[in-house]
Amino acid sequence: MHAPASSVAPGTGQAIAFTVLSQLAGAAFLYFVLKAEGGWQIVGLLALLGAGFYLLERLPWITDYAMASMARVPLVTFATAAVVVLGFPFVVGSNTYVLHLLIVAQLYAVLALALNFQLGSANIPNFATGASYGIGAYVSALLAINFGLSFWLTLPLAALAATLFGFVIGIPSMRTRDTYLALVTIAFGVVVQQLLNNFDWTGGPNGLVGIPAPSLFGHSFADPLVVFGWKLPSQANFYYLSAALVVVAIITAHRLHGSRIGLAWNALRADEIAAKAQGINVAWYKVLAFAVDAFLAAFAGTIYAFYVSYISPDNFTFLVSVTIMTMVIVGGMDNIFGVIVGAFLLTILPEKLRAFADYRLLFFGVVIIGFLMIRPQGLFPQRMRRYGGEP
Amino acid sequence: MSVLLRVENATMRFGGLVALNDVSFSIDKGSVLAVIGPNGAGKSTLFNVVTGVYRPTSGKVVFDGADITGKPSYEVVERGIGRTFQSSRLFSDLSVLDNVIIGMHTRTTTGVLDALFRPGKSRREMAACVEKAEALLKSGSGDLFEQRYRPAGALAQADRRRLEIARALASEPKLLLLDEPSVGMDETETQALIADIVRLRDVHLELSVILIEHDMQVVEAFPDHVMCIDYGSRIAEGDFAAVRANPRVQEAYLGKAAAHA
Ligand SMILES: Nc1ncnc2c1ncn2[C@@H]1O[C@H](COP(=O)(O)OP(=O)(O)OP(=O)(O)O)[C@@H](O)[C@H]1O
Ligand SMILES: [Mg+2]
Repeated sequence: MHAPASSVAPGTGQAIAFTVLSQLAGAAFLYFVLKAEGGWQIVGLLALLGAGFYLLERLPWITDYAMASMARVPLVTFATAAVVVLGFPFVVGSNTYVLHLLIVAQLYAVLALALNFQLGSANIPNFATGASYGIGAYVSALLAINFGLSFWLTLPLAALAATLFGFVIGIPSMRTRDTYLALVTIAFGVVVQQLLNNFDWTGGPNGLVGIPAPSLFGHSFADPLVVFGWKLPSQANFYYLSAALVVVAIITAHRLHGSRIGLAWNALRADEIAAKAQGINVAWYKVLAFAVDAFLAAFAGTIYAFYVSYISPDNFTFLVSVTIMTMVIVGGMDNIFGVIVGAFLLTILPEKLRAFADYRLLFFGVVIIGFLMIRPQGLFPQRMRRYGGEP
Repeated sequence: MSVLLRVENATMRFGGLVALNDVSFSIDKGSVLAVIGPNGAGKSTLFNVVTGVYRPTSGKVVFDGADITGKPSYEVVERGIGRTFQSSRLFSDLSVLDNVIIGMHTRTTTGVLDALFRPGKSRREMAACVEKAEALLKSGSGDLFEQRYRPAGALAQADRRRLEIARALASEPKLLLLDEPSVGMDETETQALIADIVRLRDVHLELSVILIEHDMQVVEAFPDHVMCIDYGSRIAEGDFAAVRANPRVQEAYLGKAAAHA
């Protein structure tokens, strides 16, 4: 808008250079954050990040330029992203802690993308994403332990079960709104956790142990991954698995956002009465948002259960739901890239800032209040749909 | 001419307040009905009863041969009634284009499974919507088309009114309800609005319009069928000259004016 069009439209060469270099820079930054030890290194890197966001804010053409570059050479963009994601474990090497953080960050990215359908697209406060995540984990674990079903079979079954749960919590959303709806979802989340705690067949507070590792084409995910003579720790299996899930979540989010469904959610977010006057069945679209959220969250839960091989109700508390909500708010409502960034930042930073470990809920509370007051649109605000028009 | 909408003895009470009192009228296919009446007379309530925002306390709404009394508003749109709101209710954080595309909700079919597993179909449907929406934005007065990527909330008042109309038209209605479309428009813009409505009727011969208006210029432009409401009751109906000459109408307006003075 402000800069003349010519300075925003990059040539092909420029676009290639920009997409490749910016993604490599992003990956390098992530690497240093993951490797950083001690508070000062983290504080330094955070300062760098802050400066970056300050620049993006002051010079909006940078974002336009980035979007234009990536749109110009989509194949290069995807190829670079693929190389970065596939290559990351090789750079990390045998550092299993870093791989673990990456797996958790990716699962949270999926959860945050799931919640984004509601909180971001439709502005429905849902504090039960942690419960859907837990249902996915428990259903798949129980099926694997009791019936010997393979991971790949439990994945869709768990998702189906959680989707049904999503429909069930969605029903009160037809009648209640805003604060009351938030309370209803909190109640659902707490009830689920209490049930997991009290049933015998869920193992009670002890949870479920001995969830077998998945295997694919005879390769067990508990074994190290050997690629072209490189030997990666067994966590790399789950790293790639969760990366694949992130890709699925991104495609899901992208397709829904770009379809009439995403528009219907945005419409009811802005004005329910006007949305109804356009023929949108508001109640149904709200329930749908709950179902889609639960569906994706269950996938993440299943991978989590098989990754750690031991789950208990403590993994799926209210705090988990709050964490996911913070990620969406910080990253940027209804912005797929932003939500993923939010998930990575808020998974990795609390791990690194161990001093905060005992104050996690407080930390998230302060972050949410801070963002809602100072930057309610999040780090990466929602962008207008362009339909292939000018960027 | 055949009747498109018939309202029979509609009454709407809010607690003790009678916003609509036993109102009956009908409108033919392809015609324009102008509804006038002082502030608080119940005109907007009439729209809300017809479009299913409110279920009438008693009475019936029959549209295109079907009883639609109390049907949810999203179903009413699907049957062919498009509307605008008096206090424009645009989706202000979405682009002008998206506002119009959302108006096509009932004329598109992509479901979740289609969107996820048949992205080609979904994309083609969207592309068709964009094309239609752009044509709609070009067809009215003003330069909404040039502003199609701006957030609707950033539009000037007259453009907001125009966008509301474009969005309502996007649902391909048989009946268009316009609630004070000229509010906030200056002289030239109001003339352009009249021209827009005239052109619309030339293109869609079957389209019926109900127009709530305070601006008598606009009412004068569509003088054949005018109805006046006061305190929830229909007090006069006929052509503009007859309604204007009706003593009860004059009293309703003068009485209010005197009270304001
Ligand atoms: N939801 C509601 N609850 C209670 N009272 C209402 C409601 N909607 C409308 N009313 C009342 O019904 C009466 C008619 O209102 P309405 O909006 O239909 O008037 P109007 O003719 O459109 O007036 P204006 O010209 O000012 O737009 C008013 O007294 C109004 O306060
Ligand atoms: Mg009114």
